[in-house]
Amino acid sequence: MHTDSYGRFLRWAAPLVVALAAVSSCRLAEEPPAASVFTPAHRTIGSAVNDFLNIRPAPAQPFPFPHKAHLAKGIMCTEYCHESAVKGPIAGLPSVKTCMICHESIATDRPLIKTVADYQKRGIDIPWQRVYGYASESHVRFNHAPHLRAKVDCVTCHGNIGQQTVAERNVDLKMGFCVNCHKSKQAPNECLTCHF
Amino acid sequence: MAHRWGMAVDLDRCTGCEACVTACRAENNVPTVGAAQAATGRAIHWMRVERYWEGEFPDARLKFRPVLCQQCDAAPCEPVCPTYASHHTEEGLNAQVYNRCIGTRYCANACPYNVRFFNFFNPIWDKPLHLQLNPDVSIREVGVMEKCTFCVQRISAAEIQAKADNTPITDGDLKPACVQSCPATALVFGDLNDSESAVSRLSRSSRGSKLLGDLGTQPKVTYLARQSQA
Amino acid sequence: MDRRAFIKVTAITGTSATLANCGNPEHQLIRFVPDEERVPGVAEWKPGLCPLCSAGCGLLVRVMEGDAEVLRGGQTGVMKMGLAKKLEGNPAHPISQGKLCARGQAAIQLTYHPDRIAHPLKRTGARGSGQFQEVSWDVALAELVTQLDGLAAAGNRQSLAFMTGPSTGQRGELVSQFLSRFGAPPALSYEAFGDEVLRRANLMSFGRSQLPTLDLPRTRYVISFGADFLGTWNSPVAQSAGYGHMRQGRSGVRATFVQLESRMSQTGANADEWIPVRPGTEGVVALGLAHVLLASGLRPANAAGRAGAVIDGWSSGLSAYTPAEVERRTGVVAARIERLARELADQRPGVAVIGGAPLAHTNGLAAALAVNALNALLGSVGEPGGVNFMPQIARPGDTTRSRGDQPPTLARMTADILAADRSPVQALLIDDANPVFTAPPAWRVREALVKVPFMASFGSFIDETSVLADLILPDHSFLESWTDARPESGAAVAVATLAPPAMRPLHQTRAMPDVLLEVAGRLAQPLSPALPWQTFDEMLRAAFAALPAPAPDADAWSSAQQQGGWWGAPAGNGLQIVPVGLAAPLKLADPQFDGAVAEYPFHFLPYPSQAFLDGRLAHLPWLQELPDVMSTAMWSSWVEINPQTAARLRIAEGDIVEVASTQGSLRAPALVSPGVAPDVIAMPAGQGHETFTRYASGRGQNPMKILAPLTEPETGALAWAATRVRLSRVGGPTGELILFAGGMAEHPNVRR
Repeated sequence: MHTDSYGRFLRWAAPLVVALAAVSSCRLAEEPPAASVFTPAHRTIGSAVNDFLNIRPAPAQPFPFPHKAHLAKGIMCTEYCHESAVKGPIAGLPSVKTCMICHESIATDRPLIKTVADYQKRGIDIPWQRVYGYASESHVRFNHAPHLRAKVDCVTCHGNIGQQTVAERNVDLKMGFCVNCHKSKQAPNECLTCHF
Repeated sequence: MAHRWGMAVDLDRCTGCEACVTACRAENNVPTVGAAQAATGRAIHWMRVERYWEGEFPDARLKFRPVLCQQCDAAPCEPVCPTYASHHTEEGLNAQVYNRCIGTRYCANACPYNVRFFNFFNPIWDKPLHLQLNPDVSIREVGVMEKCTFCVQRISAAEIQAKADNTPITDGDLKPACVQSCPATALVFGDLNDSESAVSRLSRSSRGSKLLGDLGTQPKVTYLARQSQA
Repeated sequence: MDRRAFIKVTAITGTSATLANCGNPEHQLIRFVPDEERVPGVAEWKPGLCPLCSAGCGLLVRVMEGDAEVLRGGQTGVMKMGLAKKLEGNPAHPISQGKLCARGQAAIQLTYHPDRIAHPLKRTGARGSGQFQEVSWDVALAELVTQLDGLAAAGNRQSLAFMTGPSTGQRGELVSQFLSRFGAPPALSYEAFGDEVLRRANLMSFGRSQLPTLDLPRTRYVISFGADFLGTWNSPVAQSAGYGHMRQGRSGVRATFVQLESRMSQTGANADEWIPVRPGTEGVVALGLAHVLLASGLRPANAAGRAGAVIDGWSSGLSAYTPAEVERRTGVVAARIERLARELADQRPGVAVIGGAPLAHTNGLAAALAVNALNALLGSVGEPGGVNFMPQIARPGDTTRSRGDQPPTLARMTADILAADRSPVQALLIDDANPVFTAPPAWRVREALVKVPFMASFGSFIDETSVLADLILPDHSFLESWTDARPESGAAVAVATLAPPAMRPLHQTRAMPDVLLEVAGRLAQPLSPALPWQTFDEMLRAAFAALPAPAPDADAWSSAQQQGGWWGAPAGNGLQIVPVGLAAPLKLADPQFDGAVAEYPFHFLPYPSQAFLDGRLAHLPWLQELPDVMSTAMWSSWVEINPQTAARLRIAEGDIVEVASTQGSLRAPALVSPGVAPDVIAMPAGQGHETFTRYASGRGQNPMKILAPLTEPETGALAWAATRVRLSRVGGPTGELILFAGGMAEHPNVRR
């Protein structure tokens, strides 16, 4: 039912939106000053369309991070680098300090490790970009810890990230994905479980 | 057993200090709209303290009544919502799902308590006031309705914690921000399904009544009348 | 076309690529390596101390990780750090008991205020022009040191003055030690709505120069003379907690509460019986009640002890205060006086309390003595359910201050500066005080301060006083620094609240006590041997280490840091009762008012606003948008007028009225209120700032600016309720009065 009306909406709206978006130039699309009233949720048509279609620029990482190599060494995701996932809602991106716990002494001669050490020397953190996450308009309050306690494996939502060198989003975390899993596990499926 | 969250407001304890009003704003990222917008009736207060004057000087009396979403069991706001943004949860909360809301404002029209507020514009926090925002609560954007949630983020956190610890939530441990702050303990929150909880006991008080109870909205907030000897 | 197909089309046309680039311009700031590791999304609760009033409520601060913009090595960047998210009362704290008032909740906005001063400033324009330039701490401190060295070299050490807010902790102690070591007079503390008169009265009646602690949870009868004890007076959180208990906390027992005042306060609204009384005659009512108790033999005169002996006519049964006479003077009918007296005698334990406007008359001290005597007569002093004095931890300063040693007053200081050719104050340091805003115009505070050659402020905001400074050395916010307090009331045990910093500083600020200590060491003749601490936390450590250990295996300092303070019985007997020689009994005189009745027919009653107190909190947007509970007004000032008076003068709600005294006039919207006497015009203080951040500047009117400079003669405290005014309508509504209730007009400027 919902999918139907959604499809119908897309059929008539999509060409119009594309046309509008195409004519809006980049310069115009840069954020105009906020009006005091009736500010649209998206300040530009472009951003509205992007959000609607779930198009996000692929995160550009400062340098490739081989998840695979680290996992192969037996470093588990939530043991060192994303340990916050066990304790609370956010898995977190480790700071350069975390990298240097091991790389103070391991593989110090590799060029990338030198880059990492250099970050720490300058007091600047590695600008890792988030790969997964929700737009603020989706009003999702995801909490890692209860999922881990329920023995949901990392790969369920993060795919084969453990095999990747540059992390890519290859699981589409749409609502249906969450709802289906919650259904199969008899987890609560109230709107308020995630949206508040 | 499922929870059924409710509140009791003892008007004989309430002093009108409005600690609850600010606590709610701080907890729930309720924006300030500024003088010009407030003048047009666009100020947002999930919790307010109403005041009623009675009589004339020198026999004037003033009565306070904290008013928040009454979390009705027969909520007039719910059936009018075309998108099910306003709906009833299994625990009996009147949920407002922001990303379903398309801003018809029908719910605000239907609500007899005037506790639903519309976002006429995107909220603005002059930097760095935004650093105070509670990361556990959504920022509502332009075009959506918002209202008291009984601090659903606290309920959710308590339920997740209770499940992790495998212990039930102790009565009195879980408090919405308004209840937590109330200096005179006029506000009491708890599980109405637990007949021994403080809120259940107060809700059975002979002083108790529902706000606009005649409308048949079946609120989960009970007001205990102020006693007076004069 | 489904969504997948749509994406394909857009991909081919290249639209989506363009969109992706346009949609979210990424402003990439450098990300610094965090100083601290914390679990993102998980809250930590740290002890805190509310800085907003002298109640000294202990807090818990909810700290969570967030991205803050910081300056590091001259570079702006983002850093993950612990940020305070919410303030709640500390459940272990004897005063706040886990609760917090509306103002306290908003204190967090002090830290994140967009107009906070982020770095030291040096004045570049004329005094008061508000033109400052950013300077480094080195430059700023060197400037302060040079100025102080200059005074010392010229043998002019006593020309250093220091103005502070009320500080009960080591911060105040440090200031006073700094001043005495430097050779300067003690700090001057000025609060418009201060409680000096009551402290003095308590000293005379009971030998305790401190505010009373009301044992509300155990009382059965409260009679309050103007004290807004549930809103703005003394220790509102502790008193509200007690109030809740006295009403519904005891099965079968509900205390009665009577309030006498001339304008219904938030507290008065809660009374079982609200009794309007002529301004300045509250003490007469108290003595009238005492008279009935004495005359009917309900209580013996000598039961009041010294508190009775200081009242003129007490021993002869207060024959001048018969109910009929009291009715004539106060407007409270005789039968009511007799009934109230009987209730007081019957419903024991009971307590009488006085605060606020009744003390702000020329006879305020005598009124306070009258209420003290009534309490003593009832046997309520030091008894359960009565009035108590909180045990105090003795401080070195308390023993050195002798009674004859009058602390300097603001009125005296400004008069001295204005009278002399060369200002007797050559350098003025200001911390947490804004006298230009809160003092009456006749004291000419601004004019006097402009005459002071050098003025430095430790303020975090440009306000009417700090805008005159030559140098601004911005303090950390309370959440970023070590803070402590030793409250004088609100609990049954002695309390020393302590809070380590809850978060790292956001800006290039420094804690004022640390600055003082550093300056003390950098002076040409360093004060450092006498002030042996490098930083303020060392001083705190020494002070807390001197307290009794809470448990055999714990020391007071580390346990205080964890639980947010130290509380318990003080070592020995704590602060001793000060023996005061008995002066001649004091006669309760008629109050004096400024302005002739014929020309100025109304009493003018400013009152501390529920949101802003005397105006020091008007810069917090949460409090600006907090609907005043009596009027529901937000972002506004207003003048409260009785409906009869309004009808007689053809004033409707929202009309602009002019209120004029002998000192000046102001225009503000009218609010018609049945809670104010027909001959009284009430107005909340707090608004009317000329310069106090974007939220408060140019908003509303300041009632203090039309106050006459009458004082209570014994203490020199401003008699802020002693001004008479005239009132006239000058125009229709302008939309300035913004009400939450019934103010839902789409077009507020159109009169409905």
